[in-house]
Amino acid sequence: MALPEVKQKTTEARLASLTLPEGGCLDAARHAALSRVEVTGLPDRRDEYWKYTRPDLFTQATAPVAVVSDRSESAIFDEFDRIKLVFVDGVFDPDASDAAVLEGVDVTRLADLKSRDDHWSKEIYGVLEARGQSPVARPLAALNTAFATDGVLIHVTSTPTKPIHIVYKQSSESSDAILHHVVRIDSGAQATILEDGPAAARFNTVLEADIADGGQLHMVRTQGREHERHAVTHIFSRLGKESVFKSFTLTVNGSLTRNEAIIEFTGDDAVAHVAGASVGDGAFHHDDTVFVTHDAVNCESRQVYKKVLRNGATGVFQGKILVKAGAQKTDGYQISQSLLLDDDSQFLAKPELEIYADDVACSHGSTSGAIDEEGLFYLRSRGVPVEEATDLLTLAFLAEAVEEIEDEDIAATMVDRLHGWLARRG
Amino acid sequence: MAVVDQFEAKEGVDQETVDAVREVSTYKYGWNTDIEMEYAPKGVNPDIVRLISEKNEEPEWMTQWRLDAFARWEKLEEPNWAMVSYPKIDFQDQYYYARPKSMEEKPKSLDEVDPKLLATYEKLGIPLKEQMILAGIEGAEDAPAEGRKVAVDAVFDSVSVGTTFQAELKKAGVIFCSISEAIREHPELVKKYLGTVVPVSDNFYATMNSAVFSDGSFVYVPPGVRCPMELSTYFRINAENTGQFERTLIIADKGSYVSYLEGCTAPQRDTAQLHAAVVEIIIEEDAEVKYSTVQNWYPGDENGQGGIYNFVTKRADCRGDRAKIMWTQVETGSAVTWKYPSCILRGEESQGEFYSIAIANNMQQADTGTKMVHLGKNTKSRIVSKGISAGKAQNTYRGLVSMHPKAKNSRNYTQCDSLLIGDKCGAHTVPYIEVKNNSSRVEHEATTSKVDDDQLFYCRQRGMDEEEAVALVVNGFCKDVLQALPMEFAMEAQQLVAISLEGSVG
Amino acid sequence: MLEIKNLHVKLEEEDKQILKGVNLKVEAGKVHAIMGPNGSGKSTLSYVLSGRDGYEVTEGTASLNGDELLELEAEERAALGVFLAFQYPVEIPGVGNMTFLRTAVNAQRKARGEEELSASDFLKTVRAKAKTLKIDADMLKRPVNVGFSGGEKKRNEILQMAMLEPKMCILDETDSGLDVDAMKLVSEGVNALRDEGRSFLVITHYQRLLDHIKPDVVHIMANGRIVKTGGPELALEVENNGYADILAEVE
Repeated sequence: MALPEVKQKTTEARLASLTLPEGGCLDAARHAALSRVEVTGLPDRRDEYWKYTRPDLFTQATAPVAVVSDRSESAIFDEFDRIKLVFVDGVFDPDASDAAVLEGVDVTRLADLKSRDDHWSKEIYGVLEARGQSPVARPLAALNTAFATDGVLIHVTSTPTKPIHIVYKQSSESSDAILHHVVRIDSGAQATILEDGPAAARFNTVLEADIADGGQLHMVRTQGREHERHAVTHIFSRLGKESVFKSFTLTVNGSLTRNEAIIEFTGDDAVAHVAGASVGDGAFHHDDTVFVTHDAVNCESRQVYKKVLRNGATGVFQGKILVKAGAQKTDGYQISQSLLLDDDSQFLAKPELEIYADDVACSHGSTSGAIDEEGLFYLRSRGVPVEEATDLLTLAFLAEAVEEIEDEDIAATMVDRLHGWLARRG
Repeated sequence: MAVVDQFEAKEGVDQETVDAVREVSTYKYGWNTDIEMEYAPKGVNPDIVRLISEKNEEPEWMTQWRLDAFARWEKLEEPNWAMVSYPKIDFQDQYYYARPKSMEEKPKSLDEVDPKLLATYEKLGIPLKEQMILAGIEGAEDAPAEGRKVAVDAVFDSVSVGTTFQAELKKAGVIFCSISEAIREHPELVKKYLGTVVPVSDNFYATMNSAVFSDGSFVYVPPGVRCPMELSTYFRINAENTGQFERTLIIADKGSYVSYLEGCTAPQRDTAQLHAAVVEIIIEEDAEVKYSTVQNWYPGDENGQGGIYNFVTKRADCRGDRAKIMWTQVETGSAVTWKYPSCILRGEESQGEFYSIAIANNMQQADTGTKMVHLGKNTKSRIVSKGISAGKAQNTYRGLVSMHPKAKNSRNYTQCDSLLIGDKCGAHTVPYIEVKNNSSRVEHEATTSKVDDDQLFYCRQRGMDEEEAVALVVNGFCKDVLQALPMEFAMEAQQLVAISLEGSVG
Repeated sequence: MLEIKNLHVKLEEEDKQILKGVNLKVEAGKVHAIMGPNGSGKSTLSYVLSGRDGYEVTEGTASLNGDELLELEAEERAALGVFLAFQYPVEIPGVGNMTFLRTAVNAQRKARGEEELSASDFLKTVRAKAKTLKIDADMLKRPVNVGFSGGEKKRNEILQMAMLEPKMCILDETDSGLDVDAMKLVSEGVNALRDEGRSFLVITHYQRLLDHIKPDVVHIMANGRIVKTGGPELALEVENNGYADILAEVE
């Protein structure tokens, strides 16, 4: 079926602005991804999946300008012993990075695959993304698979001693980065990946994580304070038997952010928790879109998303639990809540359940409202000033999401960040 | 249908036996009335639209209104966003107007109505007599000893065959008649309100209905009047290959109150039939309307053969301050249900409530829910939805709660629960939540689970068989909604819940 | 009345043998008590006899007045007269206690080919029986066991027993979660139902319930078997010395 004219035009213009990297073992995957984009076209505001977030700035041919923050980015994970992999405007910077020598981990740069005829990542690159295209198309992820210029391919064969930290830096106000990472966790291995930084004026990342039986992947990322950033990110995660995937994202400001997490259970008895805390001020539009597919028995999924919005900020949550026929004993939970600190901010949510198995316990909840007046009064009656009391209640509101981080030190770091945001009260 | 036919074909089987067999078969209302009918030619076009208008002796403005709607409809496409699938409907391969020959001359009173039609309603348990409806056993102590009065408008295929208690209602100032009569007798009211809640351009089926609706009910309750009895419309589709397109318009003027009930059934046939209705309710200041539906259209057989496609647009507009609407629905029938009774909460402190039980068994598909659009300050809404899926059925709750920037200090609470019986069915929840001010509070909760094994075992240990145990537990699951129904309906609904789930266990 | 022969039972989901050859005979009109430490299989025995899913009988038989029980559905056993007073009575939201009781009573009457009880007869009977158990009208109206205290739930079990008039009553840890007054009330309810045609199997940890419901025979169960049988004095022995001595003696 032909695409609507406007969509066709937008898609063609965007594709014309990009060059398909040629050569190496991922050629086939890139071409296949390109045809996926051509079939569906890039998203526009008429797409149901983009009902609450306008994708125009992601699909236009050139990146919208974003001033480079002059604030020296506080190095959030500096106190942790970790391997740093640094990208500046979407290009790997070997000088700024640590030598990726870590027992149990093999790291390859995506750009280096141009000259490689074979690589383990071939089995995953674009594969999980393609699986995640149904039942809902995610053309921006397919676009990424086709045109990604850089990224890291991380193979975890046994549990490393320290986390891997992907650091993004922005130096140009018109940088337009497309990064694609692949993580493979072998059976029984465990790894932690940290991510932070502004990356680029416009930023499209995909991370595909394939977790084998009994493997564990923990991810914690922060999306920085820059007000003008435009970011669309996708995490595709496939879970084998008894594996664990946990992801937490802290988003502070940014002009437009869409974070998608697409989780698929293929092995029994696995656990996936995805959580997010976002706080936004002013012209902030933040969208969490989550799709969890249960296609195995006795798996547990949790989605915990909390948003604090003020000065006209907009928060969006689209979450879905799909339980396929036969995925019995599924335990699915989803909560999305927003705290509106003033009258101009808004919360738009579409929490969905689609269930084809009977022996399941699935639930979702969604709430929106102002700060609890009674709680506020109680604290003030005990002598706590109103601003401090508001902060206290705001942090308490966000706590359920932050508690999803297993590492207590990292969780404490996130709480510090949130304190910082509250202190910069507009 | 097939089984019953065979029984009827056998000689020497008396009517009582046939009736007894019908009683035990799952769908009790699957028989048809053999009556001479008059049809408009198949298909739909401006001539058919004019013909329907002419049959109803409508004024020119009404005919034009219909023709405008038809012109719009021709440009529209069928919506496909609901989680239902069915073969493409050939809109030209069915009748849009069917009326019993005996209705050609409008009967002046109920005594003149064709006895066959009266017998039909008698058999459906809706006698068209001006009599008390006696409450059943359960909870009977709360009912007045002499029973309660319920006025009935009976719609048979495309026409209203009679309306009871009209005279008594008139004394109270209440107008209750068929919409065709209202267009002739009360054009000023119809003109003022028709299409103001569900505009002609609203959606594919509503636009279609605006062009071809043949009859339906009209209610006007004047200021300050509490309608002295329950009003009800009973819809019966009887003719084959015929769609029913009815239009209901209810106006509750300032400070008035009315409770309105709607029931519907159709014969068992193995081709699907279309039912596309529009209900518009206008509620002025301090007025209150309760609208209850027990939807029991023929659901098709266990293989998905036949059944009614039920595409309905229902909306209430709380125009005045402190206006109240309460929708209660028990959806057990239809092969496909596409229905979202909605509330526009325009007046300050207006309230909307939506209570729903949707049961889908065998091959049924239901996509139903509500929209709560909060426009006024201090408005309140409450949604309680209970979905039950069994067999190979698909059951979807779809809803919208929208808090506009000006709807300060408003509240919504939504609870939607799904129950699955068997591992071949599906239960889905698709809520949209849009909050655009911070003084309003929205809470949405949803759960999906199966019938609890411990509860079933407890019931069975006390001697109930599995079906009985399931029916009991499911009725408990639906309690909050059943309680919202008027008493006569609540009992019928309770039995219907049990009947609808027959064959779903074991 | 009840006769259990060489009953072996394992869990369906895991390969775990719970009962390993239980033999038991309860005569009409008698009260038997089964005592034993945690995990000895007491509750499993009550569930297997009443027909709960999740257990697999690998060997042995159980019959009530000559009718084989183990092949029957739970409701068929109930109609024959098996009644289980649950350790944790199940809550059923939305279903009124009265509705539940009437449905159960009439289902059993129907299964036995008896006339259904009329609404007014039923009401009269329930009210009378509820009164002796100090169950008020409000409790009868509320949904089955929902929001009931521990004592209310157990009294409700006994009310059901009184209404259903079973032949073989199995009381699974009926004393758990009861204070002294509640235990007395429940015991009185049970004692009032004792008669020649009705037998009881009282499963309990502690002797204290047996002070109120006097047993004819006491069995000690351990590790899936009945290891010792005696008179009421056996319960006192447990009370004074614990299970350790008896178990050591058996081994």
